[in-house]
Amino acid sequence: MYLRSLHLRQFRNYREQRVAFSAAKTILLGENAQGKSNLLEAIELLATLRSHRTHRDRDLILDGATAAMITAQVERDLGVASLAIALRQGSRRLLTVNGENLRRQTDFLGTLNAVQFSSLDLELVRGSPELRRHWLDGLLIQLEPVYANLLQQYNHVLKQRNALLKDRQRSLAREQATNRSYQRQDAGTQAQVAASEENLGVNFTEQLALWDAQLAIAGTRVIRRRSRAIQRVAPLAQHWHEAISGSQESLTLTYLPSVAAEPDDPQVIQQKFLERLQERAIAEQFQGTTLVGPHRDEIEFVINQAAARQYGSQGQQRTLVLSLKLAELQLIEAVIQEPPLLLLDDVLAELDLNRQNQLLDAIQDRFQTVITTTHLGAFDAEWLKSSQIFTVKAGQLVEAEE
Amino acid sequence: MQHLPGIGPKTAQRLALHLIKRPEEEVKALARALVEAKTQVGFCSVCFHLSAEPVCEICRSPNRDNSTLCIVADSRDVIALEKTREYRGKYHVLGGLISPMDGIGPDQLNIQPLVRRVSQQKIEEVIVAISPSVEGETTTLYVGHLLKPFTRVTRIAFGLPMGGDLEYADEVTLARALEGRRELD
Repeated sequence: MYLRSLHLRQFRNYREQRVAFSAAKTILLGENAQGKSNLLEAIELLATLRSHRTHRDRDLILDGATAAMITAQVERDLGVASLAIALRQGSRRLLTVNGENLRRQTDFLGTLNAVQFSSLDLELVRGSPELRRHWLDGLLIQLEPVYANLLQQYNHVLKQRNALLKDRQRSLAREQATNRSYQRQDAGTQAQVAASEENLGVNFTEQLALWDAQLAIAGTRVIRRRSRAIQRVAPLAQHWHEAISGSQESLTLTYLPSVAAEPDDPQVIQQKFLERLQERAIAEQFQGTTLVGPHRDEIEFVINQAAARQYGSQGQQRTLVLSLKLAELQLIEAVIQEPPLLLLDDVLAELDLNRQNQLLDAIQDRFQTVITTTHLGAFDAEWLKSSQIFTVKAGQLVEAEE
Repeated sequence: MQHLPGIGPKTAQRLALHLIKRPEEEVKALARALVEAKTQVGFCSVCFHLSAEPVCEICRSPNRDNSTLCIVADSRDVIALEKTREYRGKYHVLGGLISPMDGIGPDQLNIQPLVRRVSQQKIEEVIVAISPSVEGETTTLYVGHLLKPFTRVTRIAFGLPMGGDLEYADEVTLARALEGRRELD
């Protein structure tokens, strides 16, 4: 697929900007805070309808304006599609494909696919498990759009179950306090208190069982899909890591789900899920939150038998993240049968020459790539020659002279 | 006006200005109607549907089938089902769905009267007509569990809308429809 043109109106710091992409590689050159990443963010929105920088649409609208508009022409094997997103202050987004208004987000997704690689991704190895889950979820949504819905459903059940546990935690604390104050009173009152406590307990256990069942069903769906995605991406990442490290290092990616995903049978996993919940039941009541489920999954990276999170050097971590991104690119291409876009946000400067060259070799002209950078010094000369270069200054793009 | 559901600040303003411009009699009539509705309309003591009488019209009707009971979350669902004119049984309105986030547990819903009703009357089938949201599924699970010892419990089908093309259905609806497939008659 090829992004031909982009038109931004009142988006972030762009008042009115048209961009025609004339080469497979585009470099956006400029100082910080001039609007380079904003342009990549617009492409990210077209591909995922999400921004990794904000959840609020009003942040995306130019100060003082009431609406922003992103339009794009995308060339695909089957023809050219025009995409448009209108972001409106205090109102819903308007999505159109080829001039037709769409009601559902899922109908918009999939026309443009992109893999984002920003300096934030370098945190993927050392950062919290949440980052790694988020990375996997993002990949899964592009591979299997239904997953977005399954995950949302799981999170919703989780929220409800946590609310119930929190409620229980509060009422237990309250009862303890009243019990203490009743201790010196007659036995009759004490018996009453005990009875009401029991009553509350039965009601709670009954309700919790309902949410346990729901959590196990929704959670099992998430676990199985995550496990499958890791199985697909692991060999690709392994291959890239070996190539970039010059066969010095071998990478293994392991999915460590909170509930074992083997054997791959939904009934069995659900059963195990419920057993795990039973085991942690007391701790959950005490802490007032759910302690079992895919929201506590971990993805482990091991380089030469040592956990990369603790023992990996800076260089190894960079190689690892780069391998993951290349694997992602390759996997998405295999699934959608067209090469996706690659967005490199301020990350090339973070890689040494060897890794840069590996990356550039892998993408060649097959993947359309948009790169932001503050200086051209680190780029290979061949590369600069074949790239289209824009200078970005205060929300305006100027194409550099040859 | 802004406190009404579905009304934003602009619509609220428009409605308020409109009312001020109307003749006094008309506004008084509206005010009276609102107060009357509030004081007279309550809940049916049998099925908990909205009713001006202690027992609602549907529950009193001799023409309706006493052996079938349809369980819904809200009075609006009764109105929607009634419009189809396809259902001849009776209803039971739960008055909401189980949702710990909103502080709603089974005790806040009309579930105990339902169990009493089903266990004491001769009911051959209970149809659960609750939407397949997370809260809806949980409530269905709970109600089904309680009623199964007494009678046959079924639930309405989910899937493609009538006149809808397969290719236009979203993935989630399609997946749901696949899940609920059945034998060709």
